Amino acid sequence: MSHELEQLRDAALAEIAAATGEQVLDAARVRYLGRAGSISAWADRMKSLSKEERPIVGKLLNEARTAVTAAIQQSAERLRTMKEATELANIDISLPGTAAELGTLHPLTQMLDRGIGIFRRMGFALAEGPDVETEWHCFDALNTAADHPARNEQNTFYLPDGRVLRTHTSTVQIRTMQSAPPPIRVIAPGAAYRRDEVDATHSAQFHQIEGLYVDEGVSVADLKGTLEFFLRELFGSDSQVRFRPHYFPFTEPSFEIDVKSKALKGGEKWLEVCGCGMVHPAVFEEVNKARKDDAYDPEKWSGFAFGLGMDRLAMILFGIPDLRLFAGNDLRFLRQFA
Amino acid sequence: MKFSVSWLREFVELPASIDELAELLTLAGIEIEGIEKRGANFDKVVVAQITASSQHPNADRLSVCQVDDGSGQTRQIVCGAKNYKVGDKVPLALPGAVLPNDLKIRASKLRGVESQGMLCSGIELGLSKESEGLLILSPDAKIGARIGSLFPEDTILDVEITPNRGDLLSHFGLAREISALVGTPLRGGHGVGRFGETSLPMGVRISALRECPFYSARRIENVTVRPSPDWVRTKLEAVGLRSINNIVDITNFVMLEIGQPLHAFDADKLTGEIEVRFANENEKFLALDGKTYSLGPDNLVVADDARAVGIAGVMGGEDTGVTETTKNVLLESAYFRPGSVRRTARELNLPSDSSYRFERGVDPAMILPASQRATELIRELADGNSSPEIAIAGELPAPPKDVSLHYERCTRLIGLPVPKERVDQILEGFGLRRESANKDETSWRIPSYRSDLQREADLIEEVVRVVGIERVPVSDRSRFTPESEADRTYDFESALRQRLVARGLSEARTSALIPRETDPFGGGALELRNPLSEDHLALRPTLLSGLLDVLARNVRAGASSIRLFELGHVFSAENAAEKRNLAFVFSGSAESNAHWRSASRRLDLFDLKGVIETIGIADLSFRRSERPRFSLSADILSGSAVVGFLGQLAAASAKDLGALEPVLMAEIVLRKNVEVRVASFEMVSLVGTPSFREIEKFPSVTRDIAMIVPEKLSHAEIMATIEGAREPLLARIELFDLFKGKEETVLGAGKKSLAYTLTYRDRNRTLTNDEITVVHAKIRERLQRELGVELRE
Repeated sequence: MSHELEQLRDAALAEIAAATGEQVLDAARVRYLGRAGSISAWADRMKSLSKEERPIVGKLLNEARTAVTAAIQQSAERLRTMKEATELANIDISLPGTAAELGTLHPLTQMLDRGIGIFRRMGFALAEGPDVETEWHCFDALNTAADHPARNEQNTFYLPDGRVLRTHTSTVQIRTMQSAPPPIRVIAPGAAYRRDEVDATHSAQFHQIEGLYVDEGVSVADLKGTLEFFLRELFGSDSQVRFRPHYFPFTEPSFEIDVKSKALKGGEKWLEVCGCGMVHPAVFEEVNKARKDDAYDPEKWSGFAFGLGMDRLAMILFGIPDLRLFAGNDLRFLRQFA
Repeated sequence: MKFSVSWLREFVELPASIDELAELLTLAGIEIEGIEKRGANFDKVVVAQITASSQHPNADRLSVCQVDDGSGQTRQIVCGAKNYKVGDKVPLALPGAVLPNDLKIRASKLRGVESQGMLCSGIELGLSKESEGLLILSPDAKIGARIGSLFPEDTILDVEITPNRGDLLSHFGLAREISALVGTPLRGGHGVGRFGETSLPMGVRISALRECPFYSARRIENVTVRPSPDWVRTKLEAVGLRSINNIVDITNFVMLEIGQPLHAFDADKLTGEIEVRFANENEKFLALDGKTYSLGPDNLVVADDARAVGIAGVMGGEDTGVTETTKNVLLESAYFRPGSVRRTARELNLPSDSSYRFERGVDPAMILPASQRATELIRELADGNSSPEIAIAGELPAPPKDVSLHYERCTRLIGLPVPKERVDQILEGFGLRRESANKDETSWRIPSYRSDLQREADLIEEVVRVVGIERVPVSDRSRFTPESEADRTYDFESALRQRLVARGLSEARTSALIPRETDPFGGGALELRNPLSEDHLALRPTLLSGLLDVLARNVRAGASSIRLFELGHVFSAENAAEKRNLAFVFSGSAESNAHWRSASRRLDLFDLKGVIETIGIADLSFRRSERPRFSLSADILSGSAVVGFLGQLAAASAKDLGALEPVLMAEIVLRKNVEVRVASFEMVSLVGTPSFREIEKFPSVTRDIAMIVPEKLSHAEIMATIEGAREPLLARIELFDLFKGKEETVLGAGKKSLAYTLTYRDRNRTLTNDEITVVHAKIRERLQRELGVELRE
């Protein structure tokens, strides 16, 4: 009798091993282990067995059940693996991937972010001021009185009420010093406006990062260290940086900075990127007058200020030939910077 | 300003190479913007005279010329030009000459006729960019002379002179600077600075002494007005001035040489005495440029007894100018205040070489020498005889004030120790004189031409320029700075931008200046007082108009999926009050790339709404509203405050834009009052610092509810009804299916079917099926009772 159960088990195992599909396998499972299956039927027969036989057959039955169950599981796995392999063998992996497309920040924003990031590492906090300014903030406070030849009304947009669109972000120097005593260490990113004919390198609105550091004993060496570091961070450590004396009414001495780097388009030429200088004592005096105190005593405090043309920096860094592309916002342009 | 290198050489020895000079000046803050070679210094190119010309036997367009090249033998040249006549003198390139572009001249036969060289045009000699044929030379040119003697070689420097350095606006001035920078001696040139004067006060009056502290006039009689000699003409033309006649040229020549603008009147056209006065209200003046200007009491004029004869320091009058018939000249040399000249030149929009110099301040010490120099030249070149007397009025402006320099402060500001002796040497090189000194400090007398040196910092700059900024060490001094309001604003905006980009949107940045007609969204825009173009005429009150432009441009360029945002300044139409807005425009396919696996869908209002819902506006809700040009619009609310709107552009408007799909737009006010005070603003509240919530430990159970409702019943009402049950176990409600009935379907018109998944959960235990069934039944019952919905099984 035991022999019969063993035969049944072996037949089941052979059938399961030979199964070529999930349906066949499932049919075998029902036939042997299902409620009315031939192995399950032995459980009912147990009752009719003698006391001596029962444990022996019981053990055989258990073994048979375990073995067949395991074989079915194994076979099922084998069949799944085979099926999967067959299915995937026909997949064309050269089909394009299907992720959602990336959006992109405007290249000018990316340029501003980069610049701001570098200055923040150098301990500059941000400051801001309005685009619509008083003439005093834009000119007079910056040592550019009404008849000053550097006060270029021709290139300044005026509002009907006599205010101006700031021609540079240097206005924020004044606002910052009006609102807080020294020391000051700020950058002010923002828009400025010039009444220029629009062409490949001029636009009515442009963007600057203004910088101001006022402290005791700030020197040209500090100015040089700060801006050289900034420009090398931006253009690479092997880029060359050159300071040239220049003139701005609100700084003295004043400089312009040129950069040369092989990594850039037109990299063999010096490219002008920044105006800067030591804060003119007359600016401190004007601020003191407005503050009605002596917080910015030029005998005690000195400082440097700078203005970086961010549109121009972006053109240089990204190799963009025409400023008008920025305002065009053509997606074929924008997506290049994703 | 343009400078002739050979002219500069008359005053100072220059570095051997021009590039070296350019570098020297550039690094001293005098930027060289261009270097241009002039002249025609060629071997074997000579002056020749055409003695005969006949038609080429074999070519219609050619002629055969006989020319005299000064050698005694007549040469035959074949020539294609038509602009000459027999007797003209022209440049002749002899065989062996090499012209620009490596054009080698040799004797040859042209269509069978011998040609022993080439007659040249200005282009062929590199003298001009265009020409009408042969370069016709002056009848005075000597036959056989090297062409280089007529067009001497020179280099022209285009130099950017900063507005503080009016003293550099002349060849002598720039030479003086080079001499100081290089340390080579300055030559007096044509006797500049060595004139004595006898003067008597006569015939000149100043009634505006503040604007014109000093005026001089000299009468020069019996002049012969004729073309200037070559050496004058060459110099003027080299630096871009047109030669007019000898008298006018001399005034320009002296200005270019020593920087003092002069004016020559035809003395016989003046009536009575000269007066410097303010113009009368609405006084008309015909200037040398042929235009009539309307002057006012702010404008300073030079007048005779009858009328204004010059706008002081700006331009002379047409009818008192020097012409070929002029016999007697009155030569003006004066000091007009920079501010006054500047105001007038700006007001009249009439900049001139003269106003340019007066605005920047001329050297008072050169006013009389300049007059003397011009007088001598007129005597020499126009046969005039002048009286030694000069009529003057007023007093020369006082010399600049002394400036003292603290050596220690100089070192501290530069960050590089500069020895005292070196500082002194540098300043003396620039013509400054030590007045008094102690151990720490020296007081310096400033030369009359350096009125820009007003305080210590100005002197320190001179020191830096000569020492060289490249020698200043770099320092990396820093300072800890706390976060400012502007930092927080920037971080907030950055995070917002990043969030939108992460959702696949692209950022646009449009101009804050817009054309008038592109504000279709009502409200109006504040227009500038002095716009430059129609495109940049007003301050944008909204970002939408700019974005619409961008949309149209991208649609024209063939973009199939457009999802753009802009974050930027807008300005109120009343007083340009500044705000920061965030705006969106969506149109086209929902997938930005044609998707090979699923059908494409068009972007609709809910795509945009979904983005707005995830930017983190606090207590966000939407409320249907009306808006011109939009067929569908909703206000965006944060709490009870309207912070923006979103909507679908009316089809008619969208079509104007070339957008065929629905166009969705939204605009949200991010910050009100970007105002005067640096650190004051209000911001739409976005996510603050995140705080941790415990992750659920026990499983949740979901049950669905499907219902048929009238089409008018809103999702919000259904949500409110479900939420109104206030079931503590109900954790989430999600709409997962929605379709509208149609006439022919089972559902029927005017009805819709909605299906929600309700998620139940308790934070502290596993829920049983039975208790959920009870709660769920209560909610179903509530929906039926409150809204009368038809529940589906």
